[in-house]
Amino acid sequence: MPEQEKKKILVIEDDRSLQNALVEIVHQEGFVSESALDGEEGLAKIKTFGPDLILLDIILPKKDGFEVLSEIKKDEAIKNIPVLILTNLEEVDNVQKALDLGATNYMVKSDFSLKDVVEKIRATMK
Amino acid sequence: MFWKFLDDVNFVSRCRKYNIGLWQCPNFLFLVMGLLTVAAMFGTFFVSKSFDDETVTIVSVTIVTTIIVTIGSLIIRGVERIAEANVMKNEFISIVSHQLCGPLSAIKWNMEVLEGDGSSDNLQLTPKQTVFLNNIKEANDKMLKLVGQLLEVNRIDEGRAIFKSENVDLGEIADQAISELKDIISEREIEIKKRIAPDLPLIFVDATGMKTVVRSLVSNAIKYSRQKGEVEVDLKSSGRKILLTVKDWGVGIPRYQHRKVFEKFFRSANEARYRTDGIGLGLYLARAIVENLGGKLWFESEAGKGSTFYVSLPIVQKK
Repeated sequence: MPEQEKKKILVIEDDRSLQNALVEIVHQEGFVSESALDGEEGLAKIKTFGPDLILLDIILPKKDGFEVLSEIKKDEAIKNIPVLILTNLEEVDNVQKALDLGATNYMVKSDFSLKDVVEKIRATMK
Repeated sequence: MFWKFLDDVNFVSRCRKYNIGLWQCPNFLFLVMGLLTVAAMFGTFFVSKSFDDETVTIVSVTIVTTIIVTIGSLIIRGVERIAEANVMKNEFISIVSHQLCGPLSAIKWNMEVLEGDGSSDNLQLTPKQTVFLNNIKEANDKMLKLVGQLLEVNRIDEGRAIFKSENVDLGEIADQAISELKDIISEREIEIKKRIAPDLPLIFVDATGMKTVVRSLVSNAIKYSRQKGEVEVDLKSSGRKILLTVKDWGVGIPRYQHRKVFEKFFRSANEARYRTDGIGLGLYLARAIVENLGGKLWFESEAGKGSTFYVSLPIVQKK
């Protein structure tokens, strides 16, 4: 598939080891990706990279995932990009807060394998 | 019996166990208050007898009451300290478990990349490497499960557990739970005798929670059975209840430990004789889940003969 037709995924995750694994699997699955290590960098990259889907962690330096999410949803230009939350915060109020803010899906890292994540990405892209 | 009594009144060792000072320790303070009350009564009696003066009596009673109230408030503060320590312990477990989840998921995911489907050029592993990779993966999964259990216990202790009940076929749940244990079943060469009544009605419970319960009961039965032993899993309805019975003919639980079985971090005294893993949260969790779902969990056991655990759940359905 030519590069320009591949779907683009932005990975916003401050843990490098998790980020590496995510980026690798996403490439193996035939997506193009970029990554950001904090909320501010993430927001900036959404504008420059123009992703088709965003993987977003909650606990992030500078701006946390909730802030990033609400800024995405406030911006007309990018508010329709699906956002999948990937976090280890498993409490219901956090899940509810993210979904209320407009997240497409909420995944608790320790419960999900990379395969599950890829499946969710594919399901969302359809 | 006598030694146990001595141990009960040995407040110094008790207070040391709680890791608090003598003057903050309720056990010690209570004793002081008792002695003081007795002394004060005698004191007041003699004072009022030798001085034929109301004022003296009133003053001495006031002084004694003040001292007793002071000690009482010290006792309350001591109890508060212990309660606070308990809250802090829960918070600590919660924070540590959460922090452990990060690196554990990182290991899991990176391992998955290594294992890959080989589509990435430099990730071809030799068969031997795959064996060791699987070992690491298994160890990591075990750790994730333990941390998950700690988090679950924490949620239950703090009343934050969520049960999503639906109409569930318990027979199916039991099948799933048992099949998740197939590795340990074959390793210990246990024969599982499953008897699931064919006319079992659906009941309104949390499927994940009930799977945890069955898994925990059956895995305990396996762990405490002898090699090549037998475990019986029986599921039937009786009256307006569904009764689950898990029976083994293993080491059993000595009578003196019976009332501790459902305590957190309980490990049977027979533990040392049989290699098992786990941190003693399984039954605590199982009972909490069953009770949250409106059911009951109990057992019968005799050392050397085996144990039988029972779960009864009311047959309730939601349309």
